[in-house]
Amino acid sequence: MNAFDPRTIVFAKHAQHVVLIHFPIAAFITAVGFDYAAQWTKKPTIAAAAYFNLLVAAASTVPVMVTGLGAWQWALEGLPLKGVLLLHLLLGAASSALIAASCWIHWRQRRHEAALPAYRLPVETAGVLIVALTAHLGGVLAGVS
Amino acid sequence: MKGRHMRTILYIGVLIAACCGVAAAAQSKPAATEITIDNFSFTPPDAKVPVGATVTWANHDDIPHTVVSTDKVFKSKVLDSDEKYAYTFSTAGTFTYFCSIHPKMTGRVIVQ
Repeated sequence: MNAFDPRTIVFAKHAQHVVLIHFPIAAFITAVGFDYAAQWTKKPTIAAAAYFNLLVAAASTVPVMVTGLGAWQWALEGLPLKGVLLLHLLLGAASSALIAASCWIHWRQRRHEAALPAYRLPVETAGVLIVALTAHLGGVLAGVS
Repeated sequence: MKGRHMRTILYIGVLIAACCGVAAAAQSKPAATEITIDNFSFTPPDAKVPVGATVTWANHDDIPHTVVSTDKVFKSKVLDSDEKYAYTFSTAGTFTYFCSIHPKMTGRVIVQ
């Protein structure tokens, strides 16, 4: 297998999901870290960093979901999901929803130029925990955990 | 008296023929070999079988796997937990295979 062969990269079926998943995970955890820092320091530049990382995280969940569902249909041939696979799918959906909700809270408040609500921090923290659990199960499925 | 001897000889003859038939059948049909899939590995990783043997792969892992020959000689469907796939090797050679979902999982069937 040639790692730099475009055919290998594009047609590796499930491999894109395993690669792309790192982007929303990294961006979301960074965003939450910046948001806590912004809450602590009250610096708007750090709040802006949190917001833009959240935008990247939310946008990058779309290809991750598409490639994840594609892996189910192609690599797993649409096998009925159960056990770890089913849990990974459900937690992945929950993670995407929490990332989208966190991004929406920030987007709405910035649009109205209002202060961010305090409840966003528990939502984001729950998101990080669910993302971590989803990633752990993903690692088990990929055989790396 | 002569008839009884003849019948005994006939019974013995039939018994010997039956034994030969069973032995021949046992020789012509090699024993089946099972390779287990567990904890992201094929066990045994190298299986030696005679020509004509049927090898069965049984997935005892919690997650799905496949059995795909590197030379595209055989390819299983996605095997869920406790599902099996069997392939009969009619030619001699070394057949390397892997799991297409987890390509690090590899094994060999050596047909002699």
